Amino acid sequence: MGKTDRLTERQLTVLIFVSLLSPMIRILPTAAVMLGGRASWLSALAALPAAAALTALLRALTKNAPEGLGLADMAILGWGPAAGRAFAALCALWLSLYGGFLARSAAERLLSTVYPNGTTPVFIVTMLAVSILAAAGLTKTLARTAEVLMPILLLVIFVVLASAAPDVSGENLLPVTYRDWKDILYGAIPIFNVTAANVYFLFLRGHVTMAGPGRRRVFPWLGLLLLIAFAVTLFTLGTLGTNLSITMENAFFMVIRNIKVFGVVERVEAVVVAIWIVTDFIFLSAILMIAAEIWKTVTGAKRRSFFVWPCAALSGAAAFLIARDAFAFLKWSDFIVPAVNLTFTVALIPLALALGKLRKKY
Amino acid sequence: MKKAALLALALSLALTGCSPGLTIFSNYRHLEMIELVRTVTVDSSEDGVLVGIYGTAGEEQEARMYEKSGPSIGVTMNELTLRPLGREAILSHTENMLIGEDLAKTRLDEVLDYVERFSEMRLDTGLLIVRDGTARDLVFGLAGEETPASDVVAGLDQNIARLGRGYVFSCREIAASLAQNGCALVQCVRGEEEEKLFEKRGDLNLAPAGMAVMRPDAAVGFLDDRETLGTMLLLGRFRSCNLDIPVDDAVFTVSVDKIKPDIEPVFSEDGRLLRAEIRLRAEANLVCMDGLADVRSRDVRRQAEEALSQTLRSACEAAVRRGPALGLDFLDLGGILTRRAPLAMEDMGRPWEEVFPTLPVTVEVESVLMRTYDIIDPPEIGGREEGTPWEKLTDSLRDS
Repeated sequence: MGKTDRLTERQLTVLIFVSLLSPMIRILPTAAVMLGGRASWLSALAALPAAAALTALLRALTKNAPEGLGLADMAILGWGPAAGRAFAALCALWLSLYGGFLARSAAERLLSTVYPNGTTPVFIVTMLAVSILAAAGLTKTLARTAEVLMPILLLVIFVVLASAAPDVSGENLLPVTYRDWKDILYGAIPIFNVTAANVYFLFLRGHVTMAGPGRRRVFPWLGLLLLIAFAVTLFTLGTLGTNLSITMENAFFMVIRNIKVFGVVERVEAVVVAIWIVTDFIFLSAILMIAAEIWKTVTGAKRRSFFVWPCAALSGAAAFLIARDAFAFLKWSDFIVPAVNLTFTVALIPLALALGKLRKKY
Repeated sequence: MKKAALLALALSLALTGCSPGLTIFSNYRHLEMIELVRTVTVDSSEDGVLVGIYGTAGEEQEARMYEKSGPSIGVTMNELTLRPLGREAILSHTENMLIGEDLAKTRLDEVLDYVERFSEMRLDTGLLIVRDGTARDLVFGLAGEETPASDVVAGLDQNIARLGRGYVFSCREIAASLAQNGCALVQCVRGEEEEKLFEKRGDLNLAPAGMAVMRPDAAVGFLDDRETLGTMLLLGRFRSCNLDIPVDDAVFTVSVDKIKPDIEPVFSEDGRLLRAEIRLRAEANLVCMDGLADVRSRDVRRQAEEALSQTLRSACEAAVRRGPALGLDFLDLGGILTRRAPLAMEDMGRPWEEVFPTLPVTVEVESVLMRTYDIIDPPEIGGREEGTPWEKLTDSLRDS
């Protein structure tokens, strides 16, 4: 990697935070309510220990690895050249497919919310085209973009939630008793699953300057992400109730459709969605960048940008072919993709790192 | 070069407005080509439904009305909104939907589903059922030369809770209640003929007409004014109202302010739900008095408070009785009791649906007359009484 493409740990953390906002807002609160019911507004808080534990585990496993090594390098060291490369290639393949899922998912959300007369190909192609540009560029450029956009995103989320607050009713949220602990934990699974996607960003570790400002700031950002998840679930369930929320694809968007900002401006959803597209774009770009980074390591090539194109092509194919319609796509977004994601982030990647650690390769 | 080409492609897809199928701006319109709809009416018709839209065009203030009948709301609304005199009607700022009683009794669910599913509509649109007539006739009757029907409906929407005669629930609140309780309340209105005191107003006046209780598919019962008042009190939706209270030979008009109900379950030792106890504390102020009564007298005030309590109690009891009669817990007593005692309700052994129809409910109301504003005694009483202000004050203190 070029010496110029370095970023601080804080920048990587912000990139992760902005990226993960995209799936977090997309799946919540429906995914949590489906598993946790009325008590699921507490699930984001319940997900915190598990998310923190996974992050701490990964930090512990990679603590002594030399600077400049990404997860793909560590897998090759830990598993040997052949198996390590095969594992890394498998991750890259999955991430390309996952990128396609993200592009299709963003397109479907745009159609069902503000562009009912549009078509998915336009959004998929546009998103991929813009993401290729970003993914082919420097890692620090994408991270810096996330850094610049983050305050705007936080401001929008704050204004949206503050404007939605008057409609929140305690009747829709209570009662919750200690007997609901199982439901709360079930509801935490999809939320934890989203936070676990931060594991993929270990593939970019090679670009990170480990010493410097922002070290160990990952936990506050994780906390902030889960706080937003908590607020989104709380406000949506408090406004629509459990049973109505569960019937909707984008329940949080329904809340936004009704808000009046400061009692004056209404129908702001198009602006809000436009801001959210930014998180979709950042996440998709990051995923393509990670996939290309893996291929670069696996092949030993000097430049990453060459691999962005085939990865994006695979993502595009996946986005078009994954499902014929929105109903078939739901099956992917509700079950298949989360399951595969969890397998990679909680099982395969930590195992790969643990093996290298056990063999004292780093 | 590659980057420039990609950027050009992205921008061309994102920004062009020339090719409807290949742009994200396919549903954008020019301001002068749109009609801003504020009120929608839906009635039954021979074809299926009769849909009307009422609003203003562009920057003009003049009210516009269009209507069309068709087999379903989706088809009719689409034809109506896309072709009103060459302009496109925008439903995104619709404030209220008025549904004719006939349609409400058969296919209210279709209206609600349309609002929920169609992204241009917002869920906070108020829903009203028009009693004893069609929504179309009501809106046409309300519209005057300088009084748009939409203004009249919006005015009622804002003020009805302060009349104690109902509450305009939004489609969101109705949908949430249907999803949660299997039933919901919808405000009813009717047109009343009144003498046209000035030319520029409409022929009809808009009046609250109780509430409708709806199942997921249609309205199945209607509450009268007394039951509606009780329902508002028990749901905590009550804001204020003025009531006439007889006291001796006089009639007090009191304004009753916000009342918060306290509803709790009573269980037997073995965990059975014995009854629900409802307690309300009402605070009222004397607005005016017809006849002579000494408000300084504690006895007189006590009489007024008891009369007020009786009025409010009877309204609450009437509302409580209607639930089991309709077989619908539209007051959400089950939800309220569960929030008060979640574990005991869960452990009572019988599902709420079984318990609800025969559950005894007691209502206690405590009323307090708080103040009489600036005038304590009517002029007649003040004029007839003898003694100095100091003597009056000491008499009053002795009295209380």
